[in-house]
Amino acid sequence: MASSSKASDSSSQRSKRSDQGTGREAAPASVVPIHGNLTQLIRQIKSRRLLYIKEKLEANRKTLQRHSCSLFDVAAAAEVASRGSDGGNALSQRAAEGQFRLAGSDLAHGIGERDVVYMQEENLASGTLVLSSSGAAAQRTVVRFVKLPLVERIPPYTTWIFLDKNQRMADDQSVVGRRRIYYDPVGNEALICSDSDEEIPEPEEEKHFFTEGEDQLIWRATQEHGLNREVVNVLCQFIDSTPSEIEERSEVLFEKNEKNSGSSDKIERQLSLDKTMDAVLDSFDNLFCRRCLVFDCRLHGCSQNLVFPTEKQPYSFEPDENKKPCGRQCYLRWRGGFQEIHDVGLSGCATYNMESGTVSHKVDVSIMSESEDSNREKGNIRSMTLVGTSGSKIISSVSAEESTTPPSADTSETENASSDMPPSSLRKYKISKRGPRYRERSPGKRQKVFTSDISFASNILNKLSIPEIRDTRLESREPGGDKLQILDESTKKTSSKDICGESPITTTENMGIESKKVSSTKNFLEHTLSCWSALERDLYLKGIEIFGKNSCLIARNLLSGMKTCMEVANYMYNNGAAMAKRPLLNKSISGDFAETEQDYMEQDMVARTRIYRRRGRNRKLKYTWKSAGHPTVRKRIGDGKQWYTQYNPCVCQQMCGKDCPCVENGTCCEKYCGCSKSCKNKFRGCHCAKSQCRSRQCPCFAASRECDPDVCRNCWVSCGDGSLGEPPARGDGYQCGNMKLLLKQQQRILLGRSDVAGWGAFIKNPVNKNDYLGEYTGELISHKEADKRGKIYDRANSSFLFDLNDQYVLDAYRKGDKLKFANHSSNPNCYAKVMLVAGDHRVGIYAKEHIEASEELFYDYRYGPDQAPAWARRPEGSKKDEASVSHHRAHKVAR
Amino acid sequence: MAKLGPGQGLGCEAAEGSLVPSRKREYKPCGKHTEGKRPLYAIGFNFMDARYYDVFATVGGNRVTTYRCLENGSFALLQAYVDEDKDESFYTLSWARDHVDGSPLLVAAGSNGIIRVINCATEKLAKSFVGHGDSINEIRTQPLKPSLIISASKDESVRLWNVHTGICILIFAGAGGHRNEVLSVDFHPSDIERFASCGMDNTVKIWSMKEFWLYVDKSYSWTDLPSKFPTKYVQFPVLIAAVHSNYVDCTRWLGDFILSKSVDNEIVLWEPKTKEQSPGEGSIDILQKYPVPECDIWFIKFSCDFHFNQLAIGNREGKIYVWEVQSSPPVLIARLYNQQCKSPIRQTAVSFDGSTILGAGEDGTIWRWDEVDHPSSRN
Repeated sequence: MASSSKASDSSSQRSKRSDQGTGREAAPASVVPIHGNLTQLIRQIKSRRLLYIKEKLEANRKTLQRHSCSLFDVAAAAEVASRGSDGGNALSQRAAEGQFRLAGSDLAHGIGERDVVYMQEENLASGTLVLSSSGAAAQRTVVRFVKLPLVERIPPYTTWIFLDKNQRMADDQSVVGRRRIYYDPVGNEALICSDSDEEIPEPEEEKHFFTEGEDQLIWRATQEHGLNREVVNVLCQFIDSTPSEIEERSEVLFEKNEKNSGSSDKIERQLSLDKTMDAVLDSFDNLFCRRCLVFDCRLHGCSQNLVFPTEKQPYSFEPDENKKPCGRQCYLRWRGGFQEIHDVGLSGCATYNMESGTVSHKVDVSIMSESEDSNREKGNIRSMTLVGTSGSKIISSVSAEESTTPPSADTSETENASSDMPPSSLRKYKISKRGPRYRERSPGKRQKVFTSDISFASNILNKLSIPEIRDTRLESREPGGDKLQILDESTKKTSSKDICGESPITTTENMGIESKKVSSTKNFLEHTLSCWSALERDLYLKGIEIFGKNSCLIARNLLSGMKTCMEVANYMYNNGAAMAKRPLLNKSISGDFAETEQDYMEQDMVARTRIYRRRGRNRKLKYTWKSAGHPTVRKRIGDGKQWYTQYNPCVCQQMCGKDCPCVENGTCCEKYCGCSKSCKNKFRGCHCAKSQCRSRQCPCFAASRECDPDVCRNCWVSCGDGSLGEPPARGDGYQCGNMKLLLKQQQRILLGRSDVAGWGAFIKNPVNKNDYLGEYTGELISHKEADKRGKIYDRANSSFLFDLNDQYVLDAYRKGDKLKFANHSSNPNCYAKVMLVAGDHRVGIYAKEHIEASEELFYDYRYGPDQAPAWARRPEGSKKDEASVSHHRAHKVAR
Repeated sequence: MAKLGPGQGLGCEAAEGSLVPSRKREYKPCGKHTEGKRPLYAIGFNFMDARYYDVFATVGGNRVTTYRCLENGSFALLQAYVDEDKDESFYTLSWARDHVDGSPLLVAAGSNGIIRVINCATEKLAKSFVGHGDSINEIRTQPLKPSLIISASKDESVRLWNVHTGICILIFAGAGGHRNEVLSVDFHPSDIERFASCGMDNTVKIWSMKEFWLYVDKSYSWTDLPSKFPTKYVQFPVLIAAVHSNYVDCTRWLGDFILSKSVDNEIVLWEPKTKEQSPGEGSIDILQKYPVPECDIWFIKFSCDFHFNQLAIGNREGKIYVWEVQSSPPVLIARLYNQQCKSPIRQTAVSFDGSTILGAGEDGTIWRWDEVDHPSSRN
């Protein structure tokens, strides 16, 4: 559509432009022509709009006609189906009868234009309806009433959704500041009105949304007359917008047109790998609730403050020597080489050690590619031939052999000496495990070599399995074992021969061009380093944080498919070196990399928290976190205790001091806080060993808290039926009875017609005193919101509000559970109690006494004076309600 | 879910109809029929079955009455049903059809919140559906599957029922549901899975049952107790439209467009542009407006003929405006009034071909107008 309209525009535009030229000459203040021009354009746009509507309606009419015809078919099909069946067309039959009955009315019709008036008379006593017409001929029709038998109606309720967990109110559910219209049911159509309160927020300065037509107008005007004040002012007369907005828009339009006319080369979408981890994790950080461990948590909301605990989980640091290589590309197999390369990187001079390292590296790669052949037989043959050919070359390159091998042997020996010697039994285990793997890689060949050359080797050696020997040489770090060192010269010879056998080409090639080699390896290193994308780097740092300097785990868990263990290790060392070289950090060059690494990490972390804290606040608008202006100390109805205070985790990095928000609010620090375990403000849980934590002797119970297996010493939960293994039992099988809300160990509640009023909640099975029955769930709303909703609910004479703490009120009106229907009684059999469960306040309903099966449940809503409905008021002269705090709505309050 | 407002500004203007009658079709008053003193809230022709196109029903107080429109301008009283509860006040009715034996069913409900299904062939109460928590404001039947009905209630929910098996299949309420009484619902004429609802929260919501159609199919073959059926909650509509700023008391589909009215003396035709992939997003384009003077009280509903060519709506003063609903800009066909008719007309009924227009008055009277020179009336 847009293109066609443009085409039609251009012709008219041209003609107009010519008039415009003359007009502008005549009147320098070109307001009048602009005005006329724009009016014309507006007329055009409007007529085009009408045309558009007409076309749309016409198209719609055609499809609708098709559908209504098919609907007619459906309706007609019924007729066709009923034809022939004897029961059909009952109504027409009756209608025919009726027509017969009213046969006389034809006369009335004959009279002409005079209205015919029919009157009905209900005769309820006889159950008949008498129809009489006051036309010319008086007549009567009698129809017998058919009674619709009485069906008992159910008590009224508003449709509600079951919640097994409290939810914070979504922002679109708020009634604050919304106009609400009431019609008085008595006065029928009387408009009572909206929120009379002053609280209706001023309509925000809404940004004008420019329509296509307005865009056209602006475009045309600025194209023909330029962008100046006059033009903008004229435009303002036509468009309901501010001049600055129009100016802004015209620039946008200009850019848009430029883009359309200009080259259409698009910027290539950047690969996700180029994003930093912060960007990638953005949605995770915003959507994942670290308290409930779910995405899009309805209780704590999105965009929570990120709390990073001060105390890091200690990662188990396993010395390299105890580790098995994680794969073919494991750095463990090349560690020696790396050490040397790294040294080279530091000192910048070439050594033989380094050379041998790289050489062996290359050789291995070539062999592996060779032996990767799935066909084992083939591999065998090939490697045999390789040995054969290399064997011939040994002689020719003896000198090379001599020059390269001794140093490498040296390193291996020193390595062995320095490494912890594992007990032989352990080693045996390791070896036997590793043996087959290697055999697979280069099958047969090694066995060949050894069986021919070292047939005289000791039994121990055989036990150790042959590849192990190769390991000592190839990987140089592998503990050859004291037993290996006992081996006589011949074995060493074979092993050194073996080197040559595998690396004849490289060794010989390397001769004489050592210096070049060094530079090339250096280049290689730099190349691999620069290949690390931002995301990979971030993942690597995360890995350091999680696993320590364990390249195997980092590569496997975080960089799988992106970087090999070797590359990670490579990066680790070189990164460390780079760090060490940084002038600002005066670390010793011999390099405690762990230290620099740690340092770097921490800097990064601090920066991250800061960024997120800022962003969190900006986006928090969705959910109100701030207290709604209620004083922290507020009386609760019933007794003189304070309100519970909403807990929000603090982000204190060390000990919590006076500035800690938890301390300020008067809440304890919980496990979700950033502060360390030794924080003085932290709630330390209980150490109970008896009474199942159900008396005030338990500090948790006394503080109206449920026990937390993470915090309390003896309170624990086992999972499943034990088939997956029991957790280590704590406290000699002590069973905590103060985790019912946490574990959802509730009673079955039934919903039924109350004996008192409306709906009621009933218990299915008998319960004992102080037993937990269930949770009163609902929407978490602010006190301000609750005041508003309370007014609305009071009109409906039903309130499901429950004061929770200083910030929130629970509203079970549209979302909740069956316990919301438990009625009020001043002599109840249940009581409600606000418990702190894992940092959240929740309302539990408990039995006040022994309750028999299928009894109705009541608890004291603790209405304010004059708030209770008539049936709930205490009889006159009974104990005075001690509640004196003014409370403007009928809330339920826990004791 | 965000509410969507209509686009505004240049190029978004709606085509507004003129109140000068075109007199394309002429109607003459054909008598009145006083049913009683209680207000009549609903009236409707049976469009579900071609055999009964001339049969209509009314509800008022605790009574449901069926009539036949005679060609001579009078009615034949067919049946009368009375609820044993004297306090019941029926607000709505809808014709349906049993999908097995095809007998005509009349569904009525009101202040008690109990849906009454009457089999008019046997003149017996077929079923009563209890479940709504408060009064029911409107019931509509799915024309493609005339045993499916949908009900709008004061309990803020819309429910889908299978009349044949008596099952409540789906409940449309919850997080994205209405925030006050639901006043009106209507099935899409061709998309069987779609319907619109509107109410006292000033919004019109478009819902889709696509993901839940399995349960609709299941409801036909359910043999166990209806209460054991796994009724599902549908919490999120496809689109929430804030077209009006007051109670929206009537909504009807006109093809893929929606006709809706509030208390602003006009009916609005708008196009909901939904996005298949992302529910809740889209836009609203107001296309046409049909002014209806003196129509500023709520619970006044309009109706169309079978092919949606003309729309009839009553007003506070007992007049009926007949619009040619699909022409652009809209054309007023006729303004019908009767000297004797002074009380509000709550609901109208337009016959299959539009030749007869009925109005149900608050004074308990049915008013009838017939086309003057319509071929069928001339004979």
